[in-house]
Amino acid sequence: MELNLIGIAAALATFLGVWMGHVTVRKVERETVDLRTPTRIMLALGIGFGVFSILTPSLILSAMSGIFAMTLVWDSHEFIRQQERIRIGRAPANPNNSRHAKILAEHPTATTVDWLEREPRGDLYSAVDLMAFKEGVE
Amino acid sequence: MNWFGLGLGFATLFVIGLGFVWVIRGERYFGYLWWPYVLGAGILFIFGSLFISNYWVSALLGVFGASLIWGSTELKEQAVRSEIGWYPFREKKILPPFARFIKKWKAPSL
Repeated sequence: MELNLIGIAAALATFLGVWMGHVTVRKVERETVDLRTPTRIMLALGIGFGVFSILTPSLILSAMSGIFAMTLVWDSHEFIRQQERIRIGRAPANPNNSRHAKILAEHPTATTVDWLEREPRGDLYSAVDLMAFKEGVE
Repeated sequence: MNWFGLGLGFATLFVIGLGFVWVIRGERYFGYLWWPYVLGAGILFIFGSLFISNYWVSALLGVFGASLIWGSTELKEQAVRSEIGWYPFREKKILPPFARFIKKWKAPSL
């Protein structure tokens, strides 16, 4: 029986696409002042992979590049969504980035605290717990 | 012109979107300690895709398997998100077999 490698190729592209997207969006949004440049680059890369996916005769390469195309186009929109997470305080702001510094000054919900840097404890945190934690870090 | 890849990419977006739903719901009712089982299921799906000759079915099994592996690494963070009140928290969880041992392992988070 011949093994069909397309599933593994698609799995690899999906995992890498999601992982790289996840890490890249958070890191680039944190460091970049003008989000238009990374947004355009992501979009252009996504479209590039999309065109390649349509033109290549290889089914495996078409599958992988099609998945990269869609995830990159999605990620190009994630920069703005990540900025929104910074505004509402669900992702930590970087005070050394002037765009984030402005958000920190204008939005009382924004914070430099990374709320997710902890292990689950099996119990709900009270508002007092969270406030004490936030003050401790800031 | 070959539309297989873009069609698959589009389907992948839905599978990833579905991932958000089952990670949130799954963590709420079952807890994050199921992560090794979810990881194992993902690997099995991908391994199984090798033996499916239909391209669409094999590729979608692979995509689904990869999203299970990714989801297994998201469960721990999701547990924290619900404990700090961003998502509804449910104290009673349906724990997996060997939960006592799994608790001692470091849950993956990417």
